[in-house]
Amino acid sequence: MADMSLVVRGRAVVSETRHLLFSVMPGAVWIIVFLVLPSVYLMAVAFMTNGPYGQPQMPLSLESFRQLAGFGFLGWSPGNLYTLLRSLWQTLLSTVLVVIVAYPIAYYITTCREKWRPIMLLVVVVPSWTNQVIRTFGWMNLLAPGTPLSDAAQALGLIAPNMGLYPSNFAVTLGLVYNFLPFMVLPLYAAFEKLDTAQVQAAQDLYASPVRAFWHAVFPQTLPGLLAGTVLVAIPAFGMYVIPELLGGGKGMMLGNLVANQFAGSANWPLGAAGAILMLIATFAGLFAMRRIGKRLGGGEEVVI
Amino acid sequence: MKKRTLQRGLSTFWWVTIVFLYLPLLVVMLFSFNASNSAANFTGFSLRWYERLLGNEQIISAFWNSLVLAIVSSVMALVIGCLIGYGMYRHRHRKLGWLIVLIYLPIVLPDIVFGISEMAFFVSIHRHTGLLQPGLGTMIIAHVTFQIPFVALIVYSRLVGLDATLFEAAKDLYATPFKRAVHFLMPTLKPALISAFFLSFTLSIDDFVISFFTAGPESATLPIYIWGAIKKGVSPEINAIATLMIGAVAIAAVLSLMFNRKGRY
Repeated sequence: MADMSLVVRGRAVVSETRHLLFSVMPGAVWIIVFLVLPSVYLMAVAFMTNGPYGQPQMPLSLESFRQLAGFGFLGWSPGNLYTLLRSLWQTLLSTVLVVIVAYPIAYYITTCREKWRPIMLLVVVVPSWTNQVIRTFGWMNLLAPGTPLSDAAQALGLIAPNMGLYPSNFAVTLGLVYNFLPFMVLPLYAAFEKLDTAQVQAAQDLYASPVRAFWHAVFPQTLPGLLAGTVLVAIPAFGMYVIPELLGGGKGMMLGNLVANQFAGSANWPLGAAGAILMLIATFAGLFAMRRIGKRLGGGEEVVI
Repeated sequence: MKKRTLQRGLSTFWWVTIVFLYLPLLVVMLFSFNASNSAANFTGFSLRWYERLLGNEQIISAFWNSLVLAIVSSVMALVIGCLIGYGMYRHRHRKLGWLIVLIYLPIVLPDIVFGISEMAFFVSIHRHTGLLQPGLGTMIIAHVTFQIPFVALIVYSRLVGLDATLFEAAKDLYATPFKRAVHFLMPTLKPALISAFFLSFTLSIDDFVISFFTAGPESATLPIYIWGAIKKGVSPEINAIATLMIGAVAIAAVLSLMFNRKGRY
């Protein structure tokens, strides 16, 4: 009898496992074949040598990483280093600006009537459903020479006469903030909605200044949302391609453009792959750091993207 | 008194931000009706750019490519992603960490890395075997890859939201797994599947970077065509295509939202 039930249970386990395999396998195999393998191949390319037609070749070398660091035929040049630093700076600046804009917006939505809130969130998110190229093109139209915004900037002496506000690093920052604002508003709103207002009340009752009340009672409670938003903003911003390409011009190039150019125009796959590895390291380091911070603050589960 | 000032300030800030968010789109839409080809001055209302769209074969072909790509990839992702989502739910008590990592990988990978690794991979495979020539086929593969996780997560979260005893009841009611799937699982998941389909569709239409790197010479989609037109020098026709795309995505998004809501309440 006992043996029977064991057999039956054993069969059940087998059929469960088969069920797992059949349901999950097609997708798992798909992602492994069409994403994991290509990524591994790309990493391998980074350690190969650049052939005459931009194709990766043997022997293995670290030449591509040397090139990425700026060493070329003519000795060292700072171009790639500038690109890297610019990517970091643009990511940092746009993330901070997005946070500054998103905080009051997310808070304001929670102060409005409950039936309006989903609609307000929708209003914030809808522009990001349009294709990125089109949105960026919209900014090109707005910032071009001869537009009211460019004229105003000229009148204020911010830019030279007959110039537009794009291409410039300013335009790239603007484009990044525009692009990523909804990704910060949504998680912050979720955090604000759960906010325990009793703590804020207590802080005010104890004569805390608004700044201190915010810092001690509001900020820690919204931190999980802030971290989730930072992951959603900073990581894609660092690898951004479209916005710097259209709004930045030659002096606004970021790492994404450096990488992409190696596969399109100047054709040096190993160098591009090395840049991609750098981007991957930054991505996973960023994710890891956010998880660690999230866990330490006890809100670890909420920092899931 | 102070609180009211704060509220008023916030409300002003809200409206400024909304203008900021919609201004670029409105400018594109406005200038699509411009009589002249100036990007700075609106000289009068006309539909000439829309008329010109209809006569442009490249745009028509790009439109069909976009549509075929979005529909085929969404259907494929729906089937594969739905299976994963169901598998994740059925076996949620097991250790499926590897699967979670696999599912999040397409989401966290930067677009550009995603695009170029697939491109490098496809090109190499093609050189050695003749398979996977860059074109609509490779684009569909790439799109399915980034759509699967979203479908799986939507289906999974819908199943988790259900009462677990429902599954037991269905087991008692319908003898075969097939009947259970047809009479219980499919109707229950229908709203989630419809919303997942529209999300996949929107993601596909929205994508530029991954399409750009996996496309072949004949398979330009609308965003790729627009990109090329911008790079060559701004043509006012772009405003007209862009306006049509803004409208299409807005409709798809609203539909997805409506179905999602019906499923929840």
